[in-house]
Amino acid sequence: MSDSVLVEESEKERQDARKEEIATRRERMGAKEATCLDPPQLFEEGETLRSIDEAVFKPVESFPKFKWYVMFAISSACMGLFFFCFAYTIVEGIGVWGNNNPVGWGWAIVNFVFWIGIGHAGTLISAILFLMRQKWRTAICRFAEAMTIFAVICALQFPLIHTGRPWLAWYWLIPAPNQNNIWVNFRSPLLWDVFAVSTYFMISLMFWYSGLIPDLASLRDRAKNGWRKLIYGILSLGWSGSNRAWRHYEKGYLLFAGLATPLVLSVHSVVSFDFATAVIPGWHTTIFPPYFVAGAVFSGFAMVSTVIIILRHQFNLQHLIRDVHLELMNKVIIVTSLIVGYAYSMELFIAWYSGAMYERYVFMNRVMGPFAWAYWSMVICNVVIPQLLWIKKFRTSVLLMYPIVLLVNVGMWFERFVIISTSLHRDFLPSSWDYFKPTWVDVGLFVGSMGLFFTLTLLFVRFLPSIATSEMKAVMPGAQPTHHGGKH
Amino acid sequence: MIQEDKTKSKIQLFTGSRDEVNMAEWKRLPAHDENFTEPSGLDRRDALKIMGASAALAVGIPGCKRKPVRYIVARNEMPEYQEPGKVLEYSSTWTDGDFPYGMIVKVVDGRPIKIEGNPDHPVNGESTNAQMQASTLSLYDPDRMKEPSIGGSVADWKKADAQVVQAIKGAGSVVLMTKSTLGPSEREWVEHFLKAKPGAKHFVYESVHDTNRRNAWKKVFGKDGELIADYSKAKIILSVGCDFLGTEPLSVEATRQFAQGRRALDDGTDVKMNRLYVAEAGMSVTGSNADHRIRIKPSEMLKLVHGLRYALGGQMQKLTEFVEANHLDRKVFEALAEDLSANRGKCLVVAGQEMPESVHAAVALLNNDLGNFEKASKVFRWNPLASRLSVSDTEEIKSTLQAGVDVLICMGVNPVYDWPGGGFKTLLAKAKTSVGHGLYANETVSECTVGLPSSHNLESWNDAVARMGVLSICQPVIRPLWKSRQEAESLMLWTQQISDDAKLKGFKDWHDVIKKNWITKLYPGVKNGKIKWQDGLRSGVSVSTTFPLRAKLDTDKALELASQAMPEGGAFEVVVLPDAGVHDGRFANLSWLQECPDPVTRLVWDNAAMISPKTAISLQVSEGNLDQGDVVGDVLDVSVNGQIVKLPVLIQPGIADNVIVTTQGYGRTKVGRVGNDKGKNVSVLVSGNGGWIQTSAKVSKAAERYPLVKTQKYFKLEDDKMDHDEFRHIAIDGTLSEYKKDPGFAKHRYHIPKQVDIYNSPYDYTKGYKWEMHIDMNKCTGCHACVTACQAENNIPVVGKDECANGREMHWMRIDRYHTFDPSDTEEANPTVHQQPMLCQQCDNAPCENVCPVNATSHSPEGLNDMTYNRCVGTRYCANNCPYKVRRFNFYEYHDRNEAALINKKQLPQFNPQVTVRMRGVMEKCSFCVQRINTGKYHATNQGRDVLDGEIKTACQQVCPSNAIVFGNINGKGADGTGVSQVRKFKDAKLSYNVLEELNVKPGIAYGAKVRNPHPDLAKAVPAHHNHHGSSGSDGTHNHDHAHGDHG
Repeated sequence: MSDSVLVEESEKERQDARKEEIATRRERMGAKEATCLDPPQLFEEGETLRSIDEAVFKPVESFPKFKWYVMFAISSACMGLFFFCFAYTIVEGIGVWGNNNPVGWGWAIVNFVFWIGIGHAGTLISAILFLMRQKWRTAICRFAEAMTIFAVICALQFPLIHTGRPWLAWYWLIPAPNQNNIWVNFRSPLLWDVFAVSTYFMISLMFWYSGLIPDLASLRDRAKNGWRKLIYGILSLGWSGSNRAWRHYEKGYLLFAGLATPLVLSVHSVVSFDFATAVIPGWHTTIFPPYFVAGAVFSGFAMVSTVIIILRHQFNLQHLIRDVHLELMNKVIIVTSLIVGYAYSMELFIAWYSGAMYERYVFMNRVMGPFAWAYWSMVICNVVIPQLLWIKKFRTSVLLMYPIVLLVNVGMWFERFVIISTSLHRDFLPSSWDYFKPTWVDVGLFVGSMGLFFTLTLLFVRFLPSIATSEMKAVMPGAQPTHHGGKH
Repeated sequence: MIQEDKTKSKIQLFTGSRDEVNMAEWKRLPAHDENFTEPSGLDRRDALKIMGASAALAVGIPGCKRKPVRYIVARNEMPEYQEPGKVLEYSSTWTDGDFPYGMIVKVVDGRPIKIEGNPDHPVNGESTNAQMQASTLSLYDPDRMKEPSIGGSVADWKKADAQVVQAIKGAGSVVLMTKSTLGPSEREWVEHFLKAKPGAKHFVYESVHDTNRRNAWKKVFGKDGELIADYSKAKIILSVGCDFLGTEPLSVEATRQFAQGRRALDDGTDVKMNRLYVAEAGMSVTGSNADHRIRIKPSEMLKLVHGLRYALGGQMQKLTEFVEANHLDRKVFEALAEDLSANRGKCLVVAGQEMPESVHAAVALLNNDLGNFEKASKVFRWNPLASRLSVSDTEEIKSTLQAGVDVLICMGVNPVYDWPGGGFKTLLAKAKTSVGHGLYANETVSECTVGLPSSHNLESWNDAVARMGVLSICQPVIRPLWKSRQEAESLMLWTQQISDDAKLKGFKDWHDVIKKNWITKLYPGVKNGKIKWQDGLRSGVSVSTTFPLRAKLDTDKALELASQAMPEGGAFEVVVLPDAGVHDGRFANLSWLQECPDPVTRLVWDNAAMISPKTAISLQVSEGNLDQGDVVGDVLDVSVNGQIVKLPVLIQPGIADNVIVTTQGYGRTKVGRVGNDKGKNVSVLVSGNGGWIQTSAKVSKAAERYPLVKTQKYFKLEDDKMDHDEFRHIAIDGTLSEYKKDPGFAKHRYHIPKQVDIYNSPYDYTKGYKWEMHIDMNKCTGCHACVTACQAENNIPVVGKDECANGREMHWMRIDRYHTFDPSDTEEANPTVHQQPMLCQQCDNAPCENVCPVNATSHSPEGLNDMTYNRCVGTRYCANNCPYKVRRFNFYEYHDRNEAALINKKQLPQFNPQVTVRMRGVMEKCSFCVQRINTGKYHATNQGRDVLDGEIKTACQQVCPSNAIVFGNINGKGADGTGVSQVRKFKDAKLSYNVLEELNVKPGIAYGAKVRNPHPDLAKAVPAHHNHHGSSGSDGTHNHDHAHGDHG
């Protein structure tokens, strides 16, 4: 213990020294306060190529702290719970969940849509913001992409186990020749889901990996240990950093970004078709695709904030992932929160305006029925509380924004729960009306999927650079030709 | 698939020849061991013959080689033509229940798998009730008693017989207790027994019986017998607490006859419907079908009948006093009095078997006043030969047993469980030797010194009398599965051994008795008796026309009896009724009946204290909060004569205030793994003979709580809190006058927007076979026979109480019940009940089909919404997207799981080999009995013709006592080869509508809207929701200016 105390003390000393140095430099350069018209200040003064490398590679190149082990132990225990519940479900049957006759889909599909939604931020940040030349994305894109991959991995667990016979479902849902001579049903939105999600996963994975290559090469080059060198060497695919390699790399990256951009919109649109094409009131809604995409971006950014705030604190990356990044993400959260809020109110309006009895009832039931608690949790978390972010203090203070983004995550989970449960539990014939109550297995799978997600995240920050150093360096002041004398 | 293979392995090939059948003739094979293998102790020759005949049958399944021990003759085809997998039908009689209905047993490869009604039987025809359907399940029940026991340890029949005969021979006093439904031969042998053993006494014992009524009739008509009502002949029916459509013994016949008077759909607008008034304390199936329902305490019933008699005699004052004293609606009584007096000789007043003798006498007087016993009237017939014996006085039995008897024989009765007031155990213990003969080692049999297993209905020979002139045979369709013997044969063997009568000793076995009786009694002097016997076996029933008989009422005696006032009611009154499922408890181990929702309350696996909403408020009790999925509700301490029963609360609108209605048959302790400890035993609330009505009970809220599970949780067509003025047009009804004004009123209740399809069906449904169904809600009484028939036909698993509580019951067919209330009825005391059978609608534009990612459900060229079970991966998307919520998911391996499934698993021999057994994780639903459709088509194709109208019947249709279900080819011709098929005719009727037609799913099932027939003066008051008429438009006049129904 004394060692780690010593380490922390020296760390503190180092930081103090650094702050002092930055302060003197700022004074010397005569930096002025940023105004809102200025492009965001992405770097602290005095950031150098080397200091970025040092900061980003440190967690990868040193043994983790005790805290990491604690977190890893908790996460992997939760992951263990997940796989236990997973196996239990497969051995016993879907009956171990709370699903019943009117509510055929329960938490499994809620979790699926929730995780897919979270997986949206990564590609949005990497691809769309890249195409829009939003330089602030560089600090968070690597992590967001990784989070996308992990979220989609979590999401993919659920469609599989939620089927009654997963041992058949995993390949019968693929249009491959089979002995039954029955082809898949291209009219089913679930099949579109299979295509949309798997495509999204593949593209996201490749996009992420290709972005990693220059950083992996850096790690290789910095490695002193032979094994380390070998593994990172293999992973970096012989990256040489030559001009030619960079030229191809950037072309490829751009192409991936172009490919991934429509996917950002398509995945959740297709997921929303699962509901929008059904006849069930509360599902049968044309507003769903844009509403789902906005919701996905909303939850994705909230989740990025949720994790990245802890990450940068733990690994002392505040100077790279700065408050200004968080503030920008909070702005996206406000926008998407408003879109989602608009969608909520429009659903209610159309239900009233349509005069359709069953449609009207479903929304009345959402607002006032047995699941009203879920509906109002959703509205408060997703629409009311994020409005606090209009206040600059809430946007910039980590302590103030953290509860908000946490609640957005909660709210977005409730959104899916509300859509699925309240629409199903009371539809056309009152004779079939029932309620939905989760079982411990439902809870275990959800908590467990969090464990899976965080386990993967913790392994990621331990073994791979969580900030894209090469991209960071490329947007550093002076890294690109500009008309403003290097200070853009 | 795994499941399919399982089933297949159960279908043993039958290669036996005629020898196989004769085999049983050379040797009566005595005992069989548990594994259903052939008994040992055969000589080599026999063994070889058996091997030769049944080499292929050596493994596994009981049925394959368990031919009955005597010649039996197949209904249509001789056994020598038996082909593997081919269904053979045998006529028989249901002797398990409270009325000997005729039945046909379907046998596949020697295994009885399904019961149908016997079309030749004049009482029930092709219909059955739910309990008959469960006969096959009880046959294979592994909890049946399997071998005799003496003093609790296993014995063989020889020893047991020796002990019983010795005991009887040495006894000074012998008491024989039997059930009341003895066949003529059984009755005869009871006489033989009594003659052979002087001093022996025979008592008839039942806990559910109609002896109050029978005794009253005996007194007022001067002879023993019963009145049989013909409901089809009556214009006005008044039921005084008589559940003739439900738990009364003749309900199958009564339902058919009653439905004949509700033929709005068949007869067009010039229909003349009957009108049903029901005065009752509880809420019965009959009450659910009433045009006018009078909620009244049971203690007031006699006054009601007397009041009506006075009113008909011109003294309206007495009736008015009565009505005011009970806070009833005077108008209803005025209408009733008017209706009755206007329909002299064409009306019916019936009283329930629970009513005391005085009410029956008063009802007889009322009928007499109304001329219903006169020759011109056809509503009543007198039947001198009742199917059931009157039960003996329980006080007499008690005093006899208390005096101490040497031998007490309990045959097929279970008084230790259901003795009124309880306490039979001590009486039983007073007998030196007690003999219990029963299907199960039940509460009584297990207390007896000698316990003997009875053979099942389907393993026994018997005869039965349904009524004068209707005699039927019960023939075995399988050799006893266990070391059992039918009760009658035991009685015969014992009688032979104690008797000196050489004639009696001449009978080899019970089959001999039945055969000889059938020939000599029915065809005296006929030479070719054997052929007559075979004819009898084929058709199962002999009908001679000795009807109609009449009885003359002795009015003086009736007046005297009717003047015995009922005890005044106290704060609370209790009514104990037979259960719709388990009856008096004898069917408690049959999971199908336990899980068959109660026709009124939809309760499963339990009995309850049913009370009105107002009583619940005054007692401060409630059911579980179903809104939050909580089924645990309050419990009441119901106390009668110092005996307390804790009964969970079930709030049922329609029950009279301050009355607790409960059902018998629950709280069994020794019936088997399914029925043990389910519900509460309420026999202690009954006093003496037929004392089911207790007028002074104490009721208080108990400290504990108890979960009660109903398969349906919401009973309104609107949500009070949220639907506001919107009324769901799902179960549509109207009044007769409305129907006459606008025959298409049902379609005018809702608005259908222009319907557009984006998919074109690949099939042309205007040609060839296109199977559709029509369900007439005018006829459906909600009896639930179809639900169990469907379960029996389609291998539907039972899921158990907990899974029902989870909302996972598997019934493919359910009956939705909805209540509507008159706007003035703010207490929601007296509901108008809608019964709507709901099953897969076989939509032509099915929402389930397009969402299945693996094409496991698809549309057939004949319009069926097919399930490919093998392809299903269980995404449950189809179930979510089904607007009717009729798809059922196998959340677990239900055939292999939990207490109820124990029976499911053992029920394997009962499985219908034509229907795939679905495994866990697979979606299932009604297939329109596609196996029957295909069988019918093969049959027709073999004969080079099209399927005839009515040739193919679905299981639900076949069993339906009211013929509410019509199925057939929508493009077909009528049964006579001309015109259109029945289903087309009904679907085209103006009264027909599709449920949720506005969704454009194009359902293949149409419903006939219910036409109610309230008294014209009261018509406005009955259908509460009429003010919601046309809620989709603003003006409420929706009839002609908008397009309706037919487009799309």
